[in-house]
Amino acid sequence: MTLRTLVLAGFCAIVGLVWIIESGAADVFLEATRPDFQKIPLAIAGIENLGGTESPEGRVKLGSRIEEVLKADVRRSLVFALVDVNGLGIKGGQLGAEPDPSFKHAVQNGVSVVVWGRAGIKNGNKDADVNMDGYVYDAGNNEVVGGKRYVGSTSVVRLMAHRFADELVFRYIGEPGIARTKIAYVSELGSARELFLMDYDGYDPRQLTADGFLNLMPRWSPDRRFLVFTTYRNRNAQDIDLLELATGKRWTLISQGGLNITPSLSPDGNFLAYSSSHEGNAELYRMDTHTKAVQRLTTNPGGDLSPSWSPSGRELAFTSDRSGGPQVFLISADGSNVRRLTFEGDYNAAPAWSPRGNWIAYVCRTPKKEYKLCLVTPDGQKRVQLTTGPGVDDSPSWSPDGRHIVFSSTADGKSHIYMINVDGKDLERITFTGTHNSAPAWSPAS
Amino acid sequence: MKTLAIIPLPIILGVLLLMSPACSKKAVQSGGDTRALQDEMARGGKGGVSQSFPDTSLSGKDDPSGLHGFDRNPSEERLGNAQSGNGTGSANGNQLMARSDSGAAARQLAEIRAEQTASVAAGLRDVFFGYDSFSLTDEGRHVLTSDAEWIKSNSQTQLKVEGHCDERGTSAYNLVLGEKRAKAVRNYLVELGVAPQHLSIVSYGKERPFCTEHTEQCYSMNRRGHLVLKVGK
Repeated sequence: MTLRTLVLAGFCAIVGLVWIIESGAADVFLEATRPDFQKIPLAIAGIENLGGTESPEGRVKLGSRIEEVLKADVRRSLVFALVDVNGLGIKGGQLGAEPDPSFKHAVQNGVSVVVWGRAGIKNGNKDADVNMDGYVYDAGNNEVVGGKRYVGSTSVVRLMAHRFADELVFRYIGEPGIARTKIAYVSELGSARELFLMDYDGYDPRQLTADGFLNLMPRWSPDRRFLVFTTYRNRNAQDIDLLELATGKRWTLISQGGLNITPSLSPDGNFLAYSSSHEGNAELYRMDTHTKAVQRLTTNPGGDLSPSWSPSGRELAFTSDRSGGPQVFLISADGSNVRRLTFEGDYNAAPAWSPRGNWIAYVCRTPKKEYKLCLVTPDGQKRVQLTTGPGVDDSPSWSPDGRHIVFSSTADGKSHIYMINVDGKDLERITFTGTHNSAPAWSPAS
Repeated sequence: MKTLAIIPLPIILGVLLLMSPACSKKAVQSGGDTRALQDEMARGGKGGVSQSFPDTSLSGKDDPSGLHGFDRNPSEERLGNAQSGNGTGSANGNQLMARSDSGAAARQLAEIRAEQTASVAAGLRDVFFGYDSFSLTDEGRHVLTSDAEWIKSNSQTQLKVEGHCDERGTSAYNLVLGEKRAKAVRNYLVELGVAPQHLSIVSYGKERPFCTEHTEQCYSMNRRGHLVLKVGK
């Protein structure tokens, strides 16, 4: 059988699927990162409730909660197309047994992967652990691939679903998945701005700092152990600090006069790029994190800031107002070869280089003076405006899989954090509490 | 129908991105040391770059995804604060973050109030800027002339010039713009005869707005050079 027939068969199957099952129809042909990427049709046949709820007063049963979180994760993976198999009578079976005969209904509807399981607290004992069993059937080999068995307290129920979703992504495309990633961000407390951390889907926000003043623009270390950020010493001067997440310990890395902003660790963690005005106006610097040697990268009367590393670590995108308003420039990591990347409009800033290298996201001011997100290729050949409408969009940060961008926007009045696919689809607000959520930074993948 | 099962071509793709690791070999750092550099600064040193902080590099840490694959006879994986393979500091687990809370918030709030009270009592006035602009207006120069007189006749004071911006534009670039505004104010005060050693500048960008409505009136209130009498360090 030739590849062509296979592709044709697959195409027909998907058309059939779309025809038979209305929901999910729009999903099937969305791009993941390649326009020709076809999502893998996956059905979640149900996570059976074994007993117990998330909290004593909660009404949502544990299995139902895990199923809900898992479905959202699968949908956001952009690797799978979630197929609704309600009403097809599909039920899971025990692990190790032959595939349940009901799976053939799913397969007949174009489903490639069936997931099912059970979760809960056995015997309803409040002090007992939550157990989750999840299983995977693969239609390609007509076999039950295997499963996972998770145990933990009710506080890790969402994590169980996230881990299972990441295992699915790992099994099918070899990437670690994004469901266990985190987003660091800045939120307002009184008149102060403190660092916070939340799950990638906006759940479980935790406060990291309590300085009572300004902490700004966090960025992750590549091993996810640390955040680097700007903090104000006694409100009068800026330092760049390092915060260890597990312990809350802080180290001041840079403490000198003037602006000390937009720190960013290189993809290998060996260099810290940042902007400082301690020698006059804002310039880019690069510190070797081992030798502590500092190299000045720019020499220019304009302000240079917001360095963002290319995935190879060989180049940086940054903002500079050397030609008037702020524009995005590129520079080699040794300070050579500076060239301007953006030319459309008089305000382009806050560049973020995609972890896949193919796009640089940035804030572009439209002719209507709206601050929106744009994408440009590193060669400057292709430019697209990603977001539209009212509100100031700021601080784009890529998901580690390069398929999503998280950013802040005042589109709904107060500043909140939103997620959008790189193709402009699936705009989703992910923070709902707090009066000013900004400067999101997506963690590397686990 | 069995051919349909072959649809997912991407199954074949199997490149494992070893993005992250977390299993740290490092000994516990002595640190949490935010003080050493800052103390040096307070003693009048130049401060600069810390010579001692934890290793932030990926080298030698090659713990892959923390995922173990599906198994026909899965063993129990316990999830919690110290998951195996995730390292203590990873963003992977549900680990409890320690929050540094040294009473700094209360102290800062008290000092901010004291500064505000002192600045209002002194009758210092602020200057305002146009959209995207850091040029002083005629009105601004006029205001600074009277501010300069007060400062010169109260020569014991230490003054801080804060540069502020409206909410439009990026947080990062507004910090640069705020610094340009603060410098414009400081330079003019110096031109008017204020001793530079009595003046310091700081940019707050758009992070400490005076007004939070999304209106031009509010924006113009926030594009400001704000003069503050320093209290404390």
